[in-house]
Amino acid sequence: MKFNLLKQLMFFGIMLCSSVMLAQTVTGTVTSNDGPLPGVSVIVKGTSNGASTDFDGKYSIDNVASDAVLVFSSIGYTTKEVPVNGQSTVDVKLEEDAQALDEVVVVGYGSTTRKEVTTAVTSVGEEDFNKGVIADATQLLQGKVAGLTIYNKGGNPNSNATIRLRGISTVGGNTEPLVVIDGVLGQSLSNVDPSDIENITVLKDGSAAAIYGTRGSSGVILVTTKSGKNGQPFNVSYNGQFSVASIGNQIDVMDRATFLATGGTDLGADTDWIDEVTRNAVSKVHNIAAVGGTESANYRVSANFRDTEGILIGSGFDQFNVRTKLSGKMLNDKLKIDFNSSLTQRDSDFGFNEALRYAVLYNPTAPILGADAPFAFNADQFGGFFETLGLFDSFNPVSIAKQNKNYGTRNILNYSLDFRYSFTDDLSANLSFGEQNEKNTNRQYYPVTSFFRGNAVSPFRKGRADFFTNEIRNKTLELFATYNKSISDNFILKVTGGYSWQETDYNEYFLQLGDFPPGVNFDFSDNIEVSQDLLEAGRVVANSGRNDDDRIIAFFARANATINDAIYLNASIRREGSSRFGEDEQWGIFPAAAIGADLNKFLDLDNVNLLKARLGYGVTGAIPPGVGLSQTTFGVTNGSNGFGSSSTGLGSRKANPALKWEEKRELNLGFEFETDRLSATLDLYNRDIVDFITNVNIDAAANDGFTSQFQNGGELNTKGIELSLNYDIVKNDKLTYNSGIIFSSYKTILEKNTGGDRTTANLGAPGQNSTNVILVREGEEVGQIWGPVFSGDVDANGTPILVDVNGDGNLVTDQGSALNDDVDFKVLGKGIPDFELSWTHSLTYGNWDANVLFRGAFGHSLVNAFRAFYEPRIGSQSSYNFINTSLARNDIRTAQFSSYYVEKADFVRLDNLSIGYNFDVNNDYIKNIRVSLTGQNLFTITDYTGADPEPALQDFGAVDNGGNLGQANVLAPGVDRRYNYFASRVITLGLNINF
Amino acid sequence: MNRFIKLTFVCSMLFTAYSCTDLDEVLEDELTTEFSDDGVVVIEGATDGGILPSGTLTPAYNRLRNGSAGHGSYYSAQEVSSDEMALGQKGGDWFDGGIWLRMHRHTFDSSNGTFNNIWNDAYGGIGEVNLALSGSLSPSEEAQAKTLRAFFYWRLLDNFGRVKIITTAGGDAPQATSQQVFDFVESELLGVLGIGAVTSSLDLSGSALGTAAEPYIVGQYAALGLLAKLYLNAEVYTGTARYQEADWAATYIIDNGPYQLCADGCTVQNLAKRPAVASDPDNLEGYAAVFAPNNQFNPEMIWSIRYDAVSATGMNFSQMNFHYSTQLTYALDQQPWNGYQVVEEFYNSYEANDKRKTANFLVGPQLDFGGNALLDFAADDPDLQLNYTPAINELEPNSLRESGARAAKFSFQLFGRQEMNNDYPIFRLGQVHLLRAEARSRAAGDWSLSLPDVNALRDRAGVAALSSIDAAGFLAERGREMFQESSRRTDQIRFGTFDDSWWEKTNSDAFRSVFPIPQAQIDASSGSLTQNPGY
Repeated sequence: MKFNLLKQLMFFGIMLCSSVMLAQTVTGTVTSNDGPLPGVSVIVKGTSNGASTDFDGKYSIDNVASDAVLVFSSIGYTTKEVPVNGQSTVDVKLEEDAQALDEVVVVGYGSTTRKEVTTAVTSVGEEDFNKGVIADATQLLQGKVAGLTIYNKGGNPNSNATIRLRGISTVGGNTEPLVVIDGVLGQSLSNVDPSDIENITVLKDGSAAAIYGTRGSSGVILVTTKSGKNGQPFNVSYNGQFSVASIGNQIDVMDRATFLATGGTDLGADTDWIDEVTRNAVSKVHNIAAVGGTESANYRVSANFRDTEGILIGSGFDQFNVRTKLSGKMLNDKLKIDFNSSLTQRDSDFGFNEALRYAVLYNPTAPILGADAPFAFNADQFGGFFETLGLFDSFNPVSIAKQNKNYGTRNILNYSLDFRYSFTDDLSANLSFGEQNEKNTNRQYYPVTSFFRGNAVSPFRKGRADFFTNEIRNKTLELFATYNKSISDNFILKVTGGYSWQETDYNEYFLQLGDFPPGVNFDFSDNIEVSQDLLEAGRVVANSGRNDDDRIIAFFARANATINDAIYLNASIRREGSSRFGEDEQWGIFPAAAIGADLNKFLDLDNVNLLKARLGYGVTGAIPPGVGLSQTTFGVTNGSNGFGSSSTGLGSRKANPALKWEEKRELNLGFEFETDRLSATLDLYNRDIVDFITNVNIDAAANDGFTSQFQNGGELNTKGIELSLNYDIVKNDKLTYNSGIIFSSYKTILEKNTGGDRTTANLGAPGQNSTNVILVREGEEVGQIWGPVFSGDVDANGTPILVDVNGDGNLVTDQGSALNDDVDFKVLGKGIPDFELSWTHSLTYGNWDANVLFRGAFGHSLVNAFRAFYEPRIGSQSSYNFINTSLARNDIRTAQFSSYYVEKADFVRLDNLSIGYNFDVNNDYIKNIRVSLTGQNLFTITDYTGADPEPALQDFGAVDNGGNLGQANVLAPGVDRRYNYFASRVITLGLNINF
Repeated sequence: MNRFIKLTFVCSMLFTAYSCTDLDEVLEDELTTEFSDDGVVVIEGATDGGILPSGTLTPAYNRLRNGSAGHGSYYSAQEVSSDEMALGQKGGDWFDGGIWLRMHRHTFDSSNGTFNNIWNDAYGGIGEVNLALSGSLSPSEEAQAKTLRAFFYWRLLDNFGRVKIITTAGGDAPQATSQQVFDFVESELLGVLGIGAVTSSLDLSGSALGTAAEPYIVGQYAALGLLAKLYLNAEVYTGTARYQEADWAATYIIDNGPYQLCADGCTVQNLAKRPAVASDPDNLEGYAAVFAPNNQFNPEMIWSIRYDAVSATGMNFSQMNFHYSTQLTYALDQQPWNGYQVVEEFYNSYEANDKRKTANFLVGPQLDFGGNALLDFAADDPDLQLNYTPAINELEPNSLRESGARAAKFSFQLFGRQEMNNDYPIFRLGQVHLLRAEARSRAAGDWSLSLPDVNALRDRAGVAALSSIDAAGFLAERGREMFQESSRRTDQIRFGTFDDSWWEKTNSDAFRSVFPIPQAQIDASSGSLTQNPGY
């Protein structure tokens, strides 16, 4: 609709451009029923001359011809054109636009209006985004979209959030939603600064996402960035934020006195390790944007600077991002060209999460420096730091954080070019082309004096440097045409069809080497030629990889029909091929159909604007997590030290030429209800994921000794419900108060699993390897925590007495029997919440506004790994600190996983509280100033004793003694591992100036 | 590698960009610390003790390494289920879901991942052999490949009994009985030796296998050794005794093979000698030399698995056995795991002056690289010095961290990596003496017939010859000689002591002489594999 308006504007502009009239200054006030209306765009028709109204609804424009026409427009109000007729004051009252239902909603390959939407789509505009310092664009939506779960456990500024739409969508395929930025697929959300985003639309169900075929299974997130408007005067705005983050919560450990009283080994000092490795982290954000437009073109250029610190010392990033958007029309307005480009450079200090882990378990009586050790200690060897030698998995956390480096640079550059040509009013064609280059360069350096990974105890081979570089190039070409025809007054038809081509080229290399000269304080990662590893066989770790021509090619078509402006039909089909599948299985077909009806058009209820029912069904796909899984691999065996003969033998993975598309079939029933004050949306869905791709154990004897293979190995079913409610509680001149509730709940059942029942999520070392805590069993819910039950009593050894669950008089609690009928295990909790809830409040009073978001998840449990390992008062572990939560018992002296370490983790959190004030400035230089104060993660109500009760939706495996994280396991939600970042609480002061 | 060269090099590098004025001082100081490497010889990986297998067979031979000297597969199951070793739960450490406690106490079940690893390692080797056999091989290579495959099937027979016999790439077959697997291994070995049966006067001229002392290549003596072992255990596998043939096969190796016991005068340099510790011997001699990191030219080796820290990885005894602090004794690359402990009773079965006792175990108070007391800051007692005690207080839950002698037969080297260089014997002459002694005694029903062979080994070990011996005495002697060579479980089963009680092990289930078929394999086999009785 806005689009049409601009078109008209320009049409008249061309008509009038030859007129030369007397110029004058026009001022006035724009009001609505509620009083003065700020932010209204006032433009002299046919020119780029214009202004916006201030907070009192006042405007002033110079150089206005006496016969000019002023155009007053504002979102949510009917646009009004008023001739000046020589007056110097033009006051206008705008009418509210009852047609909010005509609001444009972006969908795949085009847009539609809200009332016409037949699928589960949620659109969130800038005004509803989460406030505060947000580095990861997905977090703008946390708690805002029913069914969309975004968790960044702990809030490490350098880690991306885990995103889940309607639960697990795939087991072995890609789990993150497809991101489409300004219509271009496959570009990275990391290359969009959150402050440049105008709107994010989430396509939730299969019928909406099917037009995207592959990668639509985990949902589609459509991002629209801010842009200029034709005819808009040049305008600059500044947005700054200054924030301080501190530890929100941590797991309780012992202090020196308690530790000694519990039998801990006294090393003479009193150190609060957590305090030593954390800080009040200060972050600064600056965004500057300039927009403007002529009658045929508009632009927006923005530059964004972020300097973000993490609460862990030595962690954070600096980021620079610039985004350019140009849009113009030519050839008699028939050709519209959009050009977007963005560049991001991020320099990250990743720091070491391990410092947090070891701060929890390090002896509180240990000194930081070796000079303070109670016995003779050769501290020079460790850079002056103390180390508890002789212990497994124990490193001085301050030394980890201060001596070592873990940093990287990410550069992303992308552009997209879109040509849209309108052949007639009914028919248009789009050609778009986009490219993105991303390069990541990460380095780690452990000096010769670092005990942690730096091998400082080794007399010779000290120090280590790691180098990792990858480069990802993406190309997208899409061509599609749209035909839009009113067949009759009652029947409007819109048809879209096209072709899509995507290619990804990837390459990486890794190098690790060490043995640097001791006694020299120098970062040898810049001088690796001195590494003695180069002189010793097999010391240098070097590997590289490349996969090019990873392609997806698709043909797609969609038809929309609107009957009597009350019944809406939508059908689409996509045929798509991926080079990742077996030769005969490369192509898949993804159809979808949906119907919606505005029942109110028939019922005509009083005060009801909309009562829509809609039903949609769609099929989407998922591709395997890597390339080449359908193909044969070969293992190359070298002779000794490069000599002798070489040979190829069996590879590591059995090929599966029959590997085919994983499909998600989803049925969605939705209802939308809207009055002037209340809006409600209810969605019910049933999704079946069939032929999910997963790595399956195979019979080694019958498969030449291969032990696993990627197969289409099973089926998942998810049923869910989502409800969002919004109510304007108060709505008058002075005060508006709106409150909303977003509720979602789902349950996922593993219907079929070729890989067989098993337990997964090994707890890890020390001592709890082969202790799998999550059950994977056909026919049962995903994410059940499984294990023995603690009776509450402890035997003379300090070993917890477990319960004979099945009462057969025979206590079977060994992990090996976990799946046997006689085992005394039971479901100790579930990793996935029963339901999630958020509760929003939005308040305006005069120049004040406030937003509040409470967010909670209920019914889930977490395995508290810190407690399971370090809470038992184990005598031989007396040099580790003990976890000392409210559940700690001094009589438990053996570490063995049981129900005692599984805790309910229901929580309610004041996630976001933001208060803002708008100053009326109104001078020649500054139009307005807004100041805001935001608190994130202000408090959490929970019984969980760990640092953060947020659900852990996937698991990265056990990590110990300086190892690295494994692959995400989506079938193992519910484990709160020992490597999670601590939750942080952030207070942000924001300043926004429009010039 | 001289530290001076290193430092000079560095300094010249730095001169270009940095002032090096006070750098020299720091470096001087570094050279005077206890970590001076004057006089230390660093071995850069092992040299190889002979010809390596041909390229086509390399992948199949390499599979021998998997699980044979590392944690979590064949080696672990053979050792921990026997009365040699245990993996005690050390407080929070090494509980691991109880799988190792259950392995030692004989309460293991089919889902224990160790069994699946044994299975996968064996079939991985068989898969490589079948792949190699599907190509073109010389007669010698074909015979080697079949011997290798027979060896992998022998392991499966000994561990699981009833397995699938797959002889072609991509093939499948029904689960065979123990008898069928035994027959297959026997006929394959007789085939590669070019004979119809083992007799007292063997003529191996029809065999394509070699006769040279090349321990990395299976030759006639290796195939005969495997046959002797198969026959020695035939009564266990099939119910039919074949001791006479075992005796003949072993005798043929001893009489005709180019091997000799590594006794006095058979020495290698001690790669673990710390410059600052005078009591570390300069050389290892006799029995100890057979298993040293530089054992690749040992005259006793008939068939060994080649391990190398760089190019042939998989031996991790230093990690598996040592307390964390022992890293500082040998200046090892990686912190050890403090796992495997030697059962006290087994340790005590050695006479005090038995050279094998010194060679096989690390016990007592420990010193670090510089000869100072080796400290353990998490010690269970007030004494900070690490002291391995032969006594183990309990198997679980709080087996003391310093308790239990540590297996050290495959001895260590300074600056060792996580991966070790020692070659691991499948057959060595000492073992063949024991095979012959036992086969001969059992065939005749007279244990005194074992004395000449037994006393030859005792003589090497520096202990007095025995004048009489019985079955129990023979098993004990065999244990002392064959410690840590993955032999004890099979031996205990043959001598009927595997279901006996010892220390904290009381379970006497007879069916546990074969392990359960791994549950993961049964699940993936679409019903073509069934579980062994009792499980």
